[in-house]
Amino acid sequence: MARQAEPKWIFALQVASVCAIWVFVLGISAWIVHLLRLSHRLHDVPSASVGISIVAIPVFLTGASVLTYVFVGLQRGRQAAGKPILEPEEG
Amino acid sequence: MTEEARPESPDIPAAEFEDSDLLRPIVESGVGFRVTSSLLLLVLLTGWVIFGRQLLYGLGVTGLNQPVAWGFYIVNFVFFIGISHAGTLISAILRLSQAEWRRPITRMAEVITVVVLAIGAFHPVLDLGRPDRALNIFTAGRLQSPLLWDVSSISAYFMASTVYLYIPMIPDIAILRDRGVWPHWFYTFLAWGWEGTPRQHAVLERAVSILMVLVIPIAVSVHTVISYIFAMTLQPGWHSTIFGPYFVVGAIFSGIAALMMVMIVLRRVFHLERYLKQVHFDYLSRLLLIMSLLWFYFTFSEYLTAFFGNEPSEMRVFFYKVSGPYAPFFWAMVVTNFLIPVLILSFRRTRTIPGIFIASLSVVIGMWLERLNIVVPSLANPRLPLPTGYYIPGLVEWVMFAGGIATFILGFVIFARFFPLISVWEIEEGRRLSVAETTERLEGYLPDPLPSAPGQPVSEGG
Repeated sequence: MARQAEPKWIFALQVASVCAIWVFVLGISAWIVHLLRLSHRLHDVPSASVGISIVAIPVFLTGASVLTYVFVGLQRGRQAAGKPILEPEEG
Repeated sequence: MTEEARPESPDIPAAEFEDSDLLRPIVESGVGFRVTSSLLLLVLLTGWVIFGRQLLYGLGVTGLNQPVAWGFYIVNFVFFIGISHAGTLISAILRLSQAEWRRPITRMAEVITVVVLAIGAFHPVLDLGRPDRALNIFTAGRLQSPLLWDVSSISAYFMASTVYLYIPMIPDIAILRDRGVWPHWFYTFLAWGWEGTPRQHAVLERAVSILMVLVIPIAVSVHTVISYIFAMTLQPGWHSTIFGPYFVVGAIFSGIAALMMVMIVLRRVFHLERYLKQVHFDYLSRLLLIMSLLWFYFTFSEYLTAFFGNEPSEMRVFFYKVSGPYAPFFWAMVVTNFLIPVLILSFRRTRTIPGIFIASLSVVIGMWLERLNIVVPSLANPRLPLPTGYYIPGLVEWVMFAGGIATFILGFVIFARFFPLISVWEIEEGRRLSVAETTERLEGYLPDPLPSAPGQPVSEGG
């Protein structure tokens, strides 16, 4: 027996949560870039900051990308099995 | 509580199935959950009240002073972050090495990481007289400071660990959704449309594979970076090149011990004897034994180098620990981290579940003492010509410590109320596929058969 499709508001909430992860990750990346520019402007050992940024930013981006990949992949997997993502419009 | 009948999941039937007891704490939670969580909340609330008092009156209400400006808060910070290595790192290594016995363990290990990491990361804020000033790192932080390396590495580890906990939980959340467990909307939201189709399984497995490779270097880097807070200074007892690996070894050591304690307690509370068997404890305890020996080796190397160098300021710290005011803590650390676990875990007769619990508890206490021995004696004996300091923790620190432990237990209690502590789908997958896969893998390890048919002589030229 097939499971019912999800209500639209839950799907919207799921999309919003994935977007929130990206806001968080891009926020952290922007913060790191800001500190990098600050150390460059103040001549305050910018090389060390570059090293940390090169490591930190890709980690955050990878985490968010994996989450997004899973979300999109699960929705596509569901569609491929012939199951609607959203509940059909009434009437 | 089940509210409405839901159609069945493609993975696990909606009716009673072989692993139904894994869902029992969720569908049948009762008075025990409410009483336990209320008591823990009370302890936590007391901690917050005490913290409020500290905010009002400043750090003078604690035992912190000059030159010992880091006390219990930083000790607990390092200790809790160390415990967090139990989870994601061990889980990732076991998954990566395709250790089949990992299946009932990984979820608990991953939960430890997420809960403890959040608790540990909050401790430096407790140590600030003006926590509001922590916000200055957003505008004027110095990225070249090891303190800020910590902020970024712990944030990255927390994010990776949370994702690593969540993604393998999706099929289990879908089971709860399909069984109509309350709050149904919550499980529907978290299940992300999981139907158990082959394509969805492929996506999930690929994501877990990426994460387990990503998580291991992050976990190692986190504790290395924490050691840098100490090692990058010129303080005697801290300025050491082996502090990075020493901290990582200590973290994995305390992490395994904490994991086994959690497993033993949860096994008893939730009657998980069918899943957490002697063999799981046996394997993990061997790992704990190895880590104990490794810890001793690092400790010996660290102290021997300082002793042999005979540098006056290093020697002050050295004697402060081995024969001075911190001698009881130092030798208690050696006994609890080395003697007790090695004596218990080396012999089959004592390597029982109660024995393992005692050894693990001993290691957890010992590793806390190790953090205390690292933080306080070096601050009490600075390189600058100052009188020797002292540190006696006040009631505030003890209450906050109790609050941290209560938060850890509460985190587990709440998690167990809403999610299975053992991965249902991985257990089920193990039953279906593991035996065949493991047999195939074992056959792959064996030498290839001779090219000729059995019974025929093999010619020398091939």
